[in-house]
Amino acid sequence: MQIAVWQIVLITVIAFFYRVDRLGTQVCNYNAVLYSWIVGLILGDGMTGLIIGASVQLMSLGVAALAGSSVPDYPLAGMVGTAVCVMTGQDEGVGLAVGIAVGTLAVQLDVIAKTLNVFMAHKQLAYGQAGEYEKMKRITFIGPLLFGLTDALPMLVVLAFGGDVVNAILSVVPAWFTKGLSLAGGLLPVIGMGALLTYMPAKQYFSFLAIGFVLSAYLGLSILPVAILGGAAAYEVYKSLTAKSANESALANEGGLEDE
Amino acid sequence: MSDEMTKIQPERESAGDHRILTDQDIRKCAWRWCMSVNGFNYETQLAPSVVFAEADALRKIYSDDDEAYRKSIENSARYFNVTPPVAGILLGAGLAMEEKNGTSSLEAVQDLKVGLMGSLSGIGDAIIWVLIPTICGSISAYMAQNGNPVGALLYVAVMLVCSLGLKIKSWDWGYQFGTQLITSLADKVAALTEAMSVLGLTVVGALIPSVVKLSTSVSITIGDVSLGLQEGLFDKILVGLLPVCATVIVYQLLKKGVSTNKIILGIIVFCWLGAAFGFIG
Repeated sequence: MQIAVWQIVLITVIAFFYRVDRLGTQVCNYNAVLYSWIVGLILGDGMTGLIIGASVQLMSLGVAALAGSSVPDYPLAGMVGTAVCVMTGQDEGVGLAVGIAVGTLAVQLDVIAKTLNVFMAHKQLAYGQAGEYEKMKRITFIGPLLFGLTDALPMLVVLAFGGDVVNAILSVVPAWFTKGLSLAGGLLPVIGMGALLTYMPAKQYFSFLAIGFVLSAYLGLSILPVAILGGAAAYEVYKSLTAKSANESALANEGGLEDE
Repeated sequence: MSDEMTKIQPERESAGDHRILTDQDIRKCAWRWCMSVNGFNYETQLAPSVVFAEADALRKIYSDDDEAYRKSIENSARYFNVTPPVAGILLGAGLAMEEKNGTSSLEAVQDLKVGLMGSLSGIGDAIIWVLIPTICGSISAYMAQNGNPVGALLYVAVMLVCSLGLKIKSWDWGYQFGTQLITSLADKVAALTEAMSVLGLTVVGALIPSVVKLSTSVSITIGDVSLGLQEGLFDKILVGLLPVCATVIVYQLLKKGVSTNKIILGIIVFCWLGAAFGFIG
């Protein structure tokens, strides 16, 4: 599909906004589903956006949280993946693979922005010491400008050239290549699962992992009822933990009395 | 840690008689703090955003003394990094100290920030950047797979309150109550984090068989009987056996320190092989 100029402009602006919000107001953050869906809607295919956004979101669970480390820019991956998928009419796995590739490369730009901001910080302080307080405040906006561009620029490049390039490549590659990518699309969410387990107390609370598994795999419950049951369990754990610490401090006080 | 915390408690516990800043001034700082990580740099991290957020309030405190104002700016331009939605607790408390004692409190303000940065971020990161995204992200992704955007919108609503709302409100708390808040919260937060992990693990347990898609089309022929490995064997052992195995493998790789990018590449290569030789699908 050929995309119009207004679509390119709008999606690029959204990519810019995404980054400034992720770092600043932090409301939509790493909400890959939301951004992929919006890009899908702009291009006239919200459903594709939701599906790709879901895969990216699942992959990013437990990965996005480790801020600072070099992991793909997942929401950008979702937006790029959706755009590529709709523009080329290819399978979701293809869009996902291109999205992740772009999201991984965009991290390099992030390093550049954080380095350039060192100069902004110096300049800001210099203005402050020179008594130019208005300039001191104003120069801070270089930060969001740089960061916004680290996502807007890759997005713009993909929108301008991505569709043709991807289609040209795919027209010469064999069938197993695209089939493999669509299989990978189904398997990649496993990364998010693995990452979550590495930093949650999986060994200590293994029972709940098993309970959730059975509820879904054997009883076929969808995620919301499972989350409600999990929430009920969490509440009981919270009550017993706070009761325990209250008991302990009470015991400690009693012990003190006996000693006297 | 607790000794250190009591040592750097600000002397002043409530906004008393010598108020220079109004509630509006604090609120203005809070909104300007929405600059947050946008000011990030490798040297002083979030400090440029602190300067941006506090500039006007500090000007009001040192309205007649340029020298003191510059000193204070220099102080707020020092290294700072705390989970932004809760940073207002420290920054608000710092403003209250400076409002009362002026430049003589700058060292104490700095000690306060450096001393509590770590523990406050520990609390903030665990809840705002790990637990909420895990639970809301899982639900929104699961619903999106079925073509439903409601989960993603709920996620936005939750973050509106727990991230942006807290980011604004934490300045009020910091300014009013100082840092005693952090110490009194720490106990409860530890229990809350652990309890939320239980919820998170239940959800992850349910997600593994439903969102990780891996099955085999291989069948074994013994004599006249053809046995599909997936239906005939794997599903009999455990529904979702292959997704579970895949999760365990990725988990082990991550624990060994293999990078996410390498695992992504590995999965794609594995799927290409699977497609070429027809053992997945």
